Amino acid sequence: MVRRVSQTLNQFNNGSILQRLVISITVLVICLFITVSIATASGPVSIRFIRVLHIIADAFTLNSSQNQTDSLIVLQLRIPRIIIAGLVGMALSVAGATMQSLFRNPMADPGIIGVSAGGAVGAVIAIALGLNEIFFLALPFFSFLGAIGATFLVYSIAAAGGRFSMPTLLLAGVAVTAFLNSIISAAILVVPDNDPVRKILFWLAGGLDSRAWEHVAISWIPILIGITLIFGFTRELNMLMIGDNDARSLGLRVNYIRPFLIAVSALITGTAVAVSGTIIFVGLIVPHVLRLIVGTDNRVLVPTSAIGGAIFLIAADTIARTIVQPAEIRVGIITSFIGAPFFLFLLIRNNRGTETFS
Amino acid sequence: MNARYWLNRFWMIGLSTMLIVFGIGCSSSATPSPTPKATEHETTTTAFSNVPGILDPQNFGWPRSVKGSNGSITIPEKPQRIITASIGHDEMTLALVPASRLVGVGSVTQDSTYSNVANLTKDIPIINTDPEILIAQQPDVMVVSPYMPQETIEALNKLNVPIIQTSLSNNPTTRIQDILLLGYIYGEEERAIEFAKEVEVRYKSLTNITRHKDFNDERKRTMAVTRYSDQIWTAGIDSAEGSIIEMAGGINVAANAGIVGNATTSLEGLIAMDPEVIFIPQPIDWGANELKTDLLNNPALKNVAAIKANQVHIVESRIFTTLSFWNIKGAESLASILWPSEFTNEILPSFTLPPN
Repeated sequence: MVRRVSQTLNQFNNGSILQRLVISITVLVICLFITVSIATASGPVSIRFIRVLHIIADAFTLNSSQNQTDSLIVLQLRIPRIIIAGLVGMALSVAGATMQSLFRNPMADPGIIGVSAGGAVGAVIAIALGLNEIFFLALPFFSFLGAIGATFLVYSIAAAGGRFSMPTLLLAGVAVTAFLNSIISAAILVVPDNDPVRKILFWLAGGLDSRAWEHVAISWIPILIGITLIFGFTRELNMLMIGDNDARSLGLRVNYIRPFLIAVSALITGTAVAVSGTIIFVGLIVPHVLRLIVGTDNRVLVPTSAIGGAIFLIAADTIARTIVQPAEIRVGIITSFIGAPFFLFLLIRNNRGTETFS
Repeated sequence: MNARYWLNRFWMIGLSTMLIVFGIGCSSSATPSPTPKATEHETTTTAFSNVPGILDPQNFGWPRSVKGSNGSITIPEKPQRIITASIGHDEMTLALVPASRLVGVGSVTQDSTYSNVANLTKDIPIINTDPEILIAQQPDVMVVSPYMPQETIEALNKLNVPIIQTSLSNNPTTRIQDILLLGYIYGEEERAIEFAKEVEVRYKSLTNITRHKDFNDERKRTMAVTRYSDQIWTAGIDSAEGSIIEMAGGINVAANAGIVGNATTSLEGLIAMDPEVIFIPQPIDWGANELKTDLLNNPALKNVAAIKANQVHIVESRIFTTLSFWNIKGAESLASILWPSEFTNEILPSFTLPPN
């Protein structure tokens, strides 16, 4: 057994991890720059990219052109929305990559296993009780509590009887998601005032409509802290991928590390859900595509998933807001349009016995 | 004797004449389905001859048949227990028949936020799309929208309830045909003709002023904006609000931008369409005031013509969003915003009701 463990870890050490990390990060950062450039220059109002650069430069120098319509569009509407799309994409992709490694399940996506729905219920409770009006971080905090509660519930069901079952994890995720969505629907019926109901409805569909700087303000700190923490535990994630017993034999304190990483994943997912509602499939598609390109080593996969997730969701949102402009469609339609066939592909591949992890 | 003979003959003739006249009177009042007199009949036939859905415009007796989107339906006799399972159909029906003939309405119809007939329907039982609840009201006929679940229609078909699925129109001309079709279904042809005329007169008195407005100089670029669940919505081609803008003599910027029906847009989309007048057909309870405040205070929107000119108006949702003739009142209300010198802000008259 020790030999198998050392072979697996050697596989992770083979080749230059640092070289792979640098190359892939460089390529992805270039792609991110291109995506952001296209996104900031795209919209119902035509603004040339050069003008966008001038506007951004003027914003840093506090130039008076900020009052012009195109400046207001770029600085007040497009950039905060792009930042939110990037943060949410990063959070969901990193959470997806982390959960796939933690549960050793290629289909563990925050939206599929109930984490996003838990976050949505937490956000809905905060709104229904009016807590978001009292303290601006109440929404992400309750969303985090909901996400972590749902994660531990699904995980406990999947690990009941001392044996972890992947099919049970997925089925429990479906059941818990349905249950949590019914709580949201019930909240809509129970809450007497229409204003909270209007806000609650947002979490049933999810989206990036009308996201502004205040949404950036409540989400960037928890998401960046959470992602940084997970970056620090990518080696441990690699150990957990080879099995709990093997990880323990290498000295990993599995009983502490796993709940900690679940909690951090729930934090970033919950925060993402607090500002975007439930957007599914991001955490499924991005890590899988990148796993095919950069390999399964979490030291490369997790950071690249962060940038890849940002690219994916910014691109999806740009399509959503420009494809039928000046009308727009929900970003979830684009992610589901790509994600659902991809999920089915993974199911078929798994049925044939081909593990995406290997 | 001769005089007596003639007197008796006179009495007999007189009595016989009275009996004949009485007999004719009785026989005509006993007829189950009266046919309008010759001239009335011609007028009625002409009015109903081109109404889509009426299979035999010559037939004003019972049974009669109509064609809905669910096929041909025969109504055996003049319906006394009617269910119309959409707010638009409820509003149209209550202009043609007294409320006592309606035996079920949706809960929205009883809510004055959305309904123009809430006061007329408050004592009518509430129904939904559950076939058992619908059949419990023992309807003679049901007129429903295309959104009624197919399973409900099939279940009611099995129970031999005539159920007619029709869509209501946004277009003022075809709306007249909707009124006539419903009047025909309910056996209220005269009221339908009278009411169609009332609606037409009201429509023409509005458009006689607005249709002369010059498209380039006078007409204002107008946009309907609502916000539900953080999404900005507008109304383009083939929408109720769009037809109201046209009736009121505005230019629907969303329709010009190619938006079809009611669709989501963004604040940037709003900037791109640059309306001169924004109206918010959203209930106050559902955040109309907050939306207006947000639009007026959003720095990104400050160069939009409507924002600069403070032309953001909250309007009464129920006369802008329903698919019934009440939209004409919505158009009159919008016209008073677009053409304040020609349309005063006095309280707009309501529509007439059918006799009890």
